[in-house]
Amino acid sequence: MTDHVSRGGFAAIETEQEEAARNRAAAERGDAPLLPSERLWGFWEFTYANSALAIATWAFLIGGAIGLFVGPKEGIAAIVIGNIVGVVLTALATTPLSGRYGIEQFVALRSQFGYNGSRIVYVLAVVVLTMGWLAVLAMMFGRSIDGLAALSAGEAANPTGIKMVIAAIGAILVTWFIVAKGPTSIKFFNMVVSPALVILMIVMLYLILQQRSFAELLEMPALAPPFEDNTLNFIIAVEVNLAAGFSWWPYIGNLARLTKNERTAFWPNILGIFGAAALGEIVGLLAAVALGESDPTIWMTKIAGPIIGIIALLFVAFANMTSMANILYTSIVGLRQVGTASVRAISWSTILFLFCLIPLGLVIFYPQMYDGFFIFLVWTSALNSALAGIGIADYFFLRGQKLDMRSLHGPQESGPYRFWAGFNPIGLAALAMGFIVYVAIFNPQTLASIPAFKYLTASVPSCVAAGVVHYVLTRLFARGAGWGNYPRR
Amino acid sequence: METDIAWQKELERRARIYEDIEAGGRFEGVMTTLDYAGMAALTLVLVVGFWIWGA
Repeated sequence: MTDHVSRGGFAAIETEQEEAARNRAAAERGDAPLLPSERLWGFWEFTYANSALAIATWAFLIGGAIGLFVGPKEGIAAIVIGNIVGVVLTALATTPLSGRYGIEQFVALRSQFGYNGSRIVYVLAVVVLTMGWLAVLAMMFGRSIDGLAALSAGEAANPTGIKMVIAAIGAILVTWFIVAKGPTSIKFFNMVVSPALVILMIVMLYLILQQRSFAELLEMPALAPPFEDNTLNFIIAVEVNLAAGFSWWPYIGNLARLTKNERTAFWPNILGIFGAAALGEIVGLLAAVALGESDPTIWMTKIAGPIIGIIALLFVAFANMTSMANILYTSIVGLRQVGTASVRAISWSTILFLFCLIPLGLVIFYPQMYDGFFIFLVWTSALNSALAGIGIADYFFLRGQKLDMRSLHGPQESGPYRFWAGFNPIGLAALAMGFIVYVAIFNPQTLASIPAFKYLTASVPSCVAAGVVHYVLTRLFARGAGWGNYPRR
Repeated sequence: METDIAWQKELERRARIYEDIEAGGRFEGVMTTLDYAGMAALTLVLVVGFWIWGA
């Protein structure tokens, strides 16, 4: 009898433990808020994770692009100014709430845009951004392979040729295969690639400084300044870096929810994201200007000679694949989280493949995107800066830093975040206003701007306009049940 | 159905934990005025300093 009871007791404990593990796994996926006791990252763990995300090959690309507009001295200033403002505003909009409540970023977004509105924002901000970066990184991989082949054969590289396209298609398909196998393989690559990229950056910096002193480098001119007005070129460089800073908006909130509290969710972004991204961009900028070539797959072969060049290109190709796997995995996990039942019903590998079709199309039909990738990056800032403004206005000024966990995770159709059929027209109008303000001040496609751009940039007014519109319209019109549960004043 | 009810209970439990923490003012590591002032000062110093140096 005693034996029977104790066996029954053990079975009950085992079932409870299994259920607790299932609940925790579901919370980690974002279905529920993570409790403070379930969150593992302290200050340094989050700093390391952030740095690993920020130190990627795109930092070389952005740094090289800055070298087109301004010389190294102005470029370093633009990198620091643009990134610190972009990262601070993005971190303010996304990390204090994740750090306080352990909530998934796009679940929290229901309070700003409604449960259907948050899906639109996800598609606009995450899906489009990820598809674009997948195509650009695949082309960078293709160019590395083309450069490798040319270096080995002693021929001239053809960065837009058929070899590049085939290698880029191969990169997307291999990334699809890796991600389809699950997150374990990606984690392994991350542990190897991030520290190795830091070493690569230091080696590249050393090689550049062997050729020219730092003082000489600072005096060098820009590669291809688009305007005669140097102030305008400088502000465009700042704007590209603001865009780089704001481009973390879709990602850092969900990383920050794994941290123990608000402080550890916020401050490591300054050290990790800002510090690491700025370092990588500065190396890319100095190399581009010193060697007269903004494309890292070309300057690496010029600076390092054939043997180190081959190693560096091989590594860049490998690192690109890792970055591609990271962003593809994160986006699809989120897509399933915000998606409808029919989206969630599609198998993991099929939805991954469907997602890869547009990047494949871009590689085949629009390879010119690589050289103008910063145009695509700046377009994304028209959305991300507005999203940051709305997030700050909503969480800090309208809600007084309080979110209702019960309503955010409960049934939405009858909850306080149903707004208008699941869409908050105020949040969406504010987003549209931020976008319009951005494009009215600065057109990323043509680089045309109004005079105010030189004093204000475009991302900062877009962020402020979206935040103000969201605040004022919410104060005026968001009343009654189902309109966001804003505290009364 | 049973799983759904169990999950709703779990969500309820987690929400209640946060409500208790909030009601007791027991959030740890909260960002204070000092944090926000430090963040604003750091941003301002970097922007103004690098503007003067580089622009």
